[in-house]
Amino acid sequence: MVRAASVLAVLGIWELFGPLLNPIILRPPSQIFRAFVDLIANGELGVAMVQSMRVFGAGLAIALAAGITLGIVSGRSRVVYNVLDPWISALYSVPSVALVPLIAVAFQYSGDAPRVATVVLFAIFPILINTQQGVRNVDPGLLEVARAFNTSERRLWGDVIVPAAMPFIFTGIRLAIGRALIGMIVAEFLVGLAGLGYLIIVYQNTFRIDKMFVPVIVVAAFGIALMGLVQFVESRVAPWTRREQ
Amino acid sequence: MNRIVVESATKRFGSGVLTVFEGLGLAVRDKETLCILGPSGCGKTTLLRCMHGLAHLDGGRIVIDDLEVRAPRRNVAMVFQHFGLMPWKRVSENVAYGVELAGLPRTTIDERVGRYTEMVGLTGFERSYPYQLSGGMQQRAGLARALALEPDILLMDEPFGSLDAQTREILQDELLRIYQQQPRTMVFITHSIEEAIALGDRIVVLTARPARVRDTILVDIPRPRTVASVVAHPRFVELRDHCWRLLRERLVA
Repeated sequence: MVRAASVLAVLGIWELFGPLLNPIILRPPSQIFRAFVDLIANGELGVAMVQSMRVFGAGLAIALAAGITLGIVSGRSRVVYNVLDPWISALYSVPSVALVPLIAVAFQYSGDAPRVATVVLFAIFPILINTQQGVRNVDPGLLEVARAFNTSERRLWGDVIVPAAMPFIFTGIRLAIGRALIGMIVAEFLVGLAGLGYLIIVYQNTFRIDKMFVPVIVVAAFGIALMGLVQFVESRVAPWTRREQ
Repeated sequence: MNRIVVESATKRFGSGVLTVFEGLGLAVRDKETLCILGPSGCGKTTLLRCMHGLAHLDGGRIVIDDLEVRAPRRNVAMVFQHFGLMPWKRVSENVAYGVELAGLPRTTIDERVGRYTEMVGLTGFERSYPYQLSGGMQQRAGLARALALEPDILLMDEPFGSLDAQTREILQDELLRIYQQQPRTMVFITHSIEEAIALGDRIVVLTARPARVRDTILVDIPRPRTVASVVAHPRFVELRDHCWRLLRERLVA
């Protein structure tokens, strides 16, 4: 109730006093809504969304697959951990944005590849590091139980290590989604003229602030929906973690 | 007949700086409950882990059924103080864990899970997760998991140590009842004198670190027992005082 009231109040004030400001700076919500309808009607928004989602989906999928695999292996093997750790630390310490121009050059600004690579760069570290931590933090008491019941290494993974890391992995996925969205927009700003990020830049440059807000709202809504989806999947895949929530 | 023989067992930690026990010897007879009683930190749990091959001695040896212990065996099962249930497995899956790893056929597994879940009084909770159960019920599941293997030997590492007094007594009675149904060799670690007398046929009292066997006491209270019948038995007070004196002499010294 309070949340809804807060949102409505801000929108109301914005609607009332927005028109008093220079339209180059801010437009009221009703005009943004109209811009929304326009952009859907002329197909611009649809095209941009498809372009963005393709990059986001591919990048996040690669980041999750690689991050979870590398995280599990490096969490369990001392050698792999030592091989990877300096690189992970170095790449994670550099602000990812600073590496985007390098990616753009490396992929010669062509097609989706540089943008997908940017999303991977943004999203892979939280998922990798969280998975690694999850595997390394398995309760030693449970490992001993598994040994006491004569576990095989294969069963140890399925019975103990992966489920124990599951809450960490889901935290990693949530962080990765947030960063993947940032990566997607940044890539669309800096590399390749496509997607929702590109729409933002175009309408900023043409002072159409009402239309500029549309992709921003779409990205925000998409992020929120995706977080909800992850929450739902987690409650299905790992119901025992409800205890911690 | 001796099932487990511990011969001059020595265990050190921290590359030899800390001697946990030294030259320790004891024997566990077939189908008896041997309680190992000692002050905290005297290495009782370490000794039990060595009996199951989860830790290795620095000297001496432990023999079960004429074979030196090197790794956990299928006919020996352990119950843990921390319960050791997998939070992501339901009660029935936790109970099935040991028998599944033992590679028994599915029908046998299901039959055993059903039987031992019932024996420990968890019928109706098969589909619960551990976090939905009280500590006492979690340990019932831990006990069922060990019993489902139908082991010759049960190793109990202070299984009721973290439970409240009432729950502990209820579970002690359950264990006595289960022993009555299926007598088996059992080593029971505890720091509670009352628990040792209630459950044990014999009690080995250890000294403080470095632990040695101070004395072995025969608990001449007939079975079938309940905790209440043991406490009411005329021998109980004498045995308790005896144990107390043995434990205290090293604490004061």
